[in-house]
Amino acid sequence: MFFENVDFSALDLPPPALKLREEVRAFLKAEVAAGSFTPHLGHAEFDAEFTRRVAARGWIGMTWPRRYGGRERPYLERFVVTEEMLAAAAPCAAHWAADRQTGPSLLRHGSDHLKEKYLPAIARGECYFALGMSEPGSGSDLASVRTRAERVEGGWRVTGQKVWTSWAHKAHAFFVLCRTSPDAGNRHEGLSQLVVELKSPGVTVRPIPFMDGRHSFNEVFLDNVFVPDERVVGEIGQGWKQVTSELALERSGPERYMTTFPLLVELIRRLGAAPDARAQEVVGKLTARLWALRRMSLGIAVALDPGADSESGATRTSVDLGTEAALVKDMGTFYEREIIDAARLLVEMEPTAATLDRLERYLAETVVCAPISTIRGGTTQVLRTLIARRLLGTLK
Amino acid sequence: MTALNDVRLMLIESATRLFADHVDDKLLAAAKRDGWSASLWQELERAELPLVSIPEEAGGAGGALSDAAAVLRIAGRYTAPVPLAETGVLAAWMLAASGIAIPGGALAAGPARDADHVTAGHNGGRWELSGTFARVPWARVASRLVLLAEGPDGLIVACVDPGRCRITPGANLAGEPRDDVVLDRVVAEAAAPAGPGVDRETLKLRGALARSLMMAGALERSLELSVQYAQQRAQFGRKIGQFQAIQQELARFGGETAVAIAAALSAAGVMERGGDALLAVASAKIRTADAAREGALIAHQVHGAIGVTNEYALHHATLRLWAWREEFGNEAQWAMRLGARTQQHGPDPFWSDLTAA
Repeated sequence: MFFENVDFSALDLPPPALKLREEVRAFLKAEVAAGSFTPHLGHAEFDAEFTRRVAARGWIGMTWPRRYGGRERPYLERFVVTEEMLAAAAPCAAHWAADRQTGPSLLRHGSDHLKEKYLPAIARGECYFALGMSEPGSGSDLASVRTRAERVEGGWRVTGQKVWTSWAHKAHAFFVLCRTSPDAGNRHEGLSQLVVELKSPGVTVRPIPFMDGRHSFNEVFLDNVFVPDERVVGEIGQGWKQVTSELALERSGPERYMTTFPLLVELIRRLGAAPDARAQEVVGKLTARLWALRRMSLGIAVALDPGADSESGATRTSVDLGTEAALVKDMGTFYEREIIDAARLLVEMEPTAATLDRLERYLAETVVCAPISTIRGGTTQVLRTLIARRLLGTLK
Repeated sequence: MTALNDVRLMLIESATRLFADHVDDKLLAAAKRDGWSASLWQELERAELPLVSIPEEAGGAGGALSDAAAVLRIAGRYTAPVPLAETGVLAAWMLAASGIAIPGGALAAGPARDADHVTAGHNGGRWELSGTFARVPWARVASRLVLLAEGPDGLIVACVDPGRCRITPGANLAGEPRDDVVLDRVVAEAAAPAGPGVDRETLKLRGALARSLMMAGALERSLELSVQYAQQRAQFGRKIGQFQAIQQELARFGGETAVAIAAALSAAGVMERGGDALLAVASAKIRTADAAREGALIAHQVHGAIGVTNEYALHHATLRLWAWREEFGNEAQWAMRLGARTQQHGPDPFWSDLTAA
């Protein structure tokens, strides 16, 4: 039923990945020692300088072909870099959307022009992408987007509104899912993906402050924005297929279960060497649950790792671990909350953002951001419906 | 891409076929009465499945611990009423490591519980064993008991005839024998100093690993039955699997089952390679026991009243889940140990410990 043909007895990382892990740890240790960033949880931090330094090490777009600025490394090495960045609460917001989603989408669906224009700049840490999916009337029901593009000479004119667009105020461009032909019965047809540069005439970005006052979300208004043909991603009309082809590897990575991990480390620090039995049990359980999730995630990564990406995007093996990958996301997002509750129930404290105490600050940062992870990228309820349908097969 | 090797794939296929062919309602009903299935055991012996992972030169079937793990998961899935784990990865492991010939037939192994002790004393060239054990798995149906005893100069592995012990039958929730055993200067048929790596801690780890694997299998069975039932049962004019309320529960159940499989099989791999066995096995036992709690209740909820009956197959799996989660340490015991160790090591090595091979 699950993990057909996955060998969990062979999840040892190959020597180059182990060596890479040490390099990433040393890099992050030096960054922290130099005070180059203050680790924050909750909202990933946008730090273009940090992103450029990561890029200089070759750790952005590292699986991509060399001709597009990549390093042609296997996915497992990207897995290692990602989990080390998360463990250190490193400020990766400037490159994560492009590294995980935009880049792979461009590789799979983009024209040579798009790949050459954006991928090397992303890999250099100089070009940042946002994602334009949600709209005021389209949350979980993505196929209902109303932003529309009309054919004009040499391109398209785009009009509509996107919301919850993280970092649109700092990114250079974003992927826009829009309707290029009217809904004529099959709502999954007639959707397309375009790359819209955020400084184009007609684009207005307005902040949507988060409930703690911080600014990462935006609404983006598109008023008759001209997008040349060369910025169409893939085929006109195939946008739905392209958007929903998020791969198992991209859905089941450490981003799905490690965003509150540094809070657990601080909790362990505060509890000290010999806490009471209740604390021991809670810490033991959290350790076990993380170990198990990580093995599941790693099992998927090892089984699906196609090595480096080919010129046309990754060539994947035929193993279908789509259900397992969705399950990592579902369980991982809830695991992140268990850490929050453990911290607040084991240590008497009141969460405060304005404090020098790292545990209290992490608690404050994670508590207010806790609702996001089970909404973003598809709500838990929608995800579980998809999982159940896969389990039930075609139930009429 | 790391796929299973052909040898393990063939093992999985042949074991699945064997259990599927032989374990049915009738066999399980008879095992409830008899304590086990002697006929299934004969089939398993014929297929050389009980001694997988025991070296061939010691009389075993060869293969790695992960091969035995694959078989135990399948045995759990088919709720096989036989001492497969006890015979191979516990008893025969102790014997083979200590240079003692492995007797034929089903074997029981002990002590299974921390509180139990057996002592071995030398008496005129023979070893005599004394002690009291509670709830020894399968003692009364085993051909021999293999015990890890405290001798005058260290641990002794000994093989004794259960006919010479005083056995008070008991059972777990699923009706599997869990017998109290008293040894009063019982002469060992064979005994030797415990071989390399054989100690109480490792015996318990291997027991907990075996139960984790079996629970992962029993969760798969419970989920399979639940999905099938949701596809067939109609209420309010629709198949119940079409209701989102049921779908949400099945998805959660899927997660619990998948993570249980990943944890249990991974733990076997870690033990096989001499990695951090405490982290791996404690994590696997904690996670599979948690999954057993969640999964068994969802399975019953999806089934409604039919699931709690003696006729319907679900209870074979769920009763075992509720029994096995307590055996060789429940999730609270392992969590306390793991948590205590995590705290002793401190915050800084926590991540590197987790990511170590």
